[in-house]
Amino acid sequence: MLNKNRVLVAMSGGVDSSVAITKLNEMGYETIGITFKLWETIDPETKMKKNSHCNSTEAINGAKMICDRLGVHHYTINEMDSFKKYVVDDFTNEYLKGRTPNPCVKCNSYVKWGNLIEQANKFDAYYVATGHYARIEKSNSKSMIKKGADKLKDQSYMLWHINRDLIDRTLLPIGDLEKEEVRNYAKKKNLETSSIPDSQDLCFVMDGDYRNFLNRFMPEKMERIKGGDIQNEDGSVIGTHSGFTNYTIGQRRGLGLSNPEPRYVKKINPISNTITVGKKESMFSSVCMTKHINWLVDTPEFPLKALTQIRYNSLGSTALIEKINESYLVTFEEPQLAITPGQSIVFYSEETLLGGGIIEESNE
Amino acid sequence: MKMIYCDSAATTPLNKDVIDEMTKVSSSVFGNPSSIHKFGQESRAIIERARLSMANLLGCDLSEIIFTGCGSESNNIALLGLLKRGDHFITTSYEHPAVLKTANELEQNGIDVTYIKPNSSGLIELEDIENSINTKTKLVSVMYVNNELGTENPINQISELTKKYGILFHTDAVQIIGKKEIALKDTSIDLLSLSAHKFYGPKGVGALYIKNGVNLIPTYFGGGQEKDLRPGTENIVYIHGMAIALQKSIQGIDRWNKRVTEYETSFFKKMEKMKINYTLNGDNRTPGILNITFHDILSQDLVIALDMSGYAISGGSACSSGSVNASATLREINMDNESASRTVRISFGKNLTKQNIVGLSDCISEIINRQYHKRVANAK
Repeated sequence: MLNKNRVLVAMSGGVDSSVAITKLNEMGYETIGITFKLWETIDPETKMKKNSHCNSTEAINGAKMICDRLGVHHYTINEMDSFKKYVVDDFTNEYLKGRTPNPCVKCNSYVKWGNLIEQANKFDAYYVATGHYARIEKSNSKSMIKKGADKLKDQSYMLWHINRDLIDRTLLPIGDLEKEEVRNYAKKKNLETSSIPDSQDLCFVMDGDYRNFLNRFMPEKMERIKGGDIQNEDGSVIGTHSGFTNYTIGQRRGLGLSNPEPRYVKKINPISNTITVGKKESMFSSVCMTKHINWLVDTPEFPLKALTQIRYNSLGSTALIEKINESYLVTFEEPQLAITPGQSIVFYSEETLLGGGIIEESNE
Repeated sequence: MKMIYCDSAATTPLNKDVIDEMTKVSSSVFGNPSSIHKFGQESRAIIERARLSMANLLGCDLSEIIFTGCGSESNNIALLGLLKRGDHFITTSYEHPAVLKTANELEQNGIDVTYIKPNSSGLIELEDIENSINTKTKLVSVMYVNNELGTENPINQISELTKKYGILFHTDAVQIIGKKEIALKDTSIDLLSLSAHKFYGPKGVGALYIKNGVNLIPTYFGGGQEKDLRPGTENIVYIHGMAIALQKSIQGIDRWNKRVTEYETSFFKKMEKMKINYTLNGDNRTPGILNITFHDILSQDLVIALDMSGYAISGGSACSSGSVNASATLREINMDNESASRTVRISFGKNLTKQNIVGLSDCISEIINRQYHKRVANAK
């Protein structure tokens, strides 16, 4: 029988998770802090080991300071193998297929929640908690994830892939707060981590440029990716590209085209090694195909009308979801700009996260 | 919850007399030992009395001791100060990183390095060293006691061997000093590194023994302190604390050895009684350092579960980030990965009582049996 008063708190050493564990402690939970060691790189020049932002030495030490002030245990657990397998390998493979992945989604489901629950079982803890900006609505049936109170910071988009059964065991103590409130709370409490800057999305891409990361991570594979043609939608060649992994859907800058009207990357085709560009108006589409759906509510009836988000931090728009064999066809009421294969598509009913999936190449 | 500390190979708490002495000195003396006035003279006297005392305790001349910032620094000063491009250097593959990484660095700078592997009992064999010696061999460095296994190498025989070949010998003795009486003048050790915090002294201070006649080239530069080898204003308080700590430790060696042997006997009796499936690794062990494979539990799970229950032990050797990584030392003694992931280090120190040892062994048995039952239940 797991202890319902005990919570394992994932701590990145930032202000959000620091406030999360402090709040839980105040609420009377018995807390234990966990930092996952996920990734390290070796600086090619100094040969010094550097951890990724999420688990830098400073981050781990920040978490230790917070746990120490609360008088609770903190442990650093090595999950580098699982991070590489589920997050980094998936990330690089997706780029090699000309797609644009969301590594945070995979990290949350496979690495964070998966391992947190496994550790929680060892600690006899019923609950796990993180400092995500999202809320859990507990109910007598199954718990649900809702958008965070801070609409600008809401991170529910990144949570669609976690196992539904684990929501009931999850606490998100800062989901009711705005970022400003979190910072103020941390300052008021004098938390050592109160002024640490927010973490970046691609925690393992040290300089923020994924292209450099791909080159360093898999130099042999990247060497085989040569330049190729940039073509119009009618197939006419209008320029050359430097390797398809250097481009993302919707990109306008850096194409080296001299058209009077701007052109946007519309399609990346690794097989023919071409980049297709189009004018802005042709970048809008009303439909997309989706696979790998995960529902966080009872499987809905189709067709389903849902508020649909095709990228993180976007407002979303209403769409109709139909099931076609193993795939789902999503038809938007308003055409969407730059629907990008590999990105997560996430469905909401008002504030409630219904589920999500991965955008596939659409064959119009 | 009161925590019981069973990790003295990582570091030790300060001896009470050491605290008192350090408090006394830090509140009364502050002069720069290099100053010519009375303030300087006072500080100088404290440092030199510490040197004299340590030299007496280690059986060497006071001119043979220099004070450093820690054991790692002593190792660096010795190796970097001795070896030049073209030299051959023999060390072991399971040294502490303070030697191992310095050796890697030396390799980058044109020094030829041979890394001797320990045998599966965690000991370096004399003939492996002898077979590696060539005409360019300048220095051999072998750790006295391995920090993870607690195994004590045949340092006297190795140093006799190197002497026979006219080669210098250095030993990282961080894990042995204060636990065994060593009369350096009776050995053929040329260089020896030690660190105060392993024998109930303060962290941040160490020493290097350099036999008279051995010349090191400075690797740090400054005001000439410690024979130019470790320049910088001396840490009077810590140096004084280290000398007191060494004196207390050496005075208490026999008493401690008797006590720690009783602790070990009581611990293993309990393991047998509770039918715990374990292997004690390493031969010729220093009493008090136990490297044990508990076959029924992952080391990470055991270390954490014990910590939650109030007992501090170590999984592999401590690393700076505090996470548990696979141990390179266990790989070097050819332990398979599965066993290595189930191996912990328990080290008994003077802070422990007989009651603590009973508590620890009870707690380990309970954790392992609980986990075993959980697994059996899950399998069904």
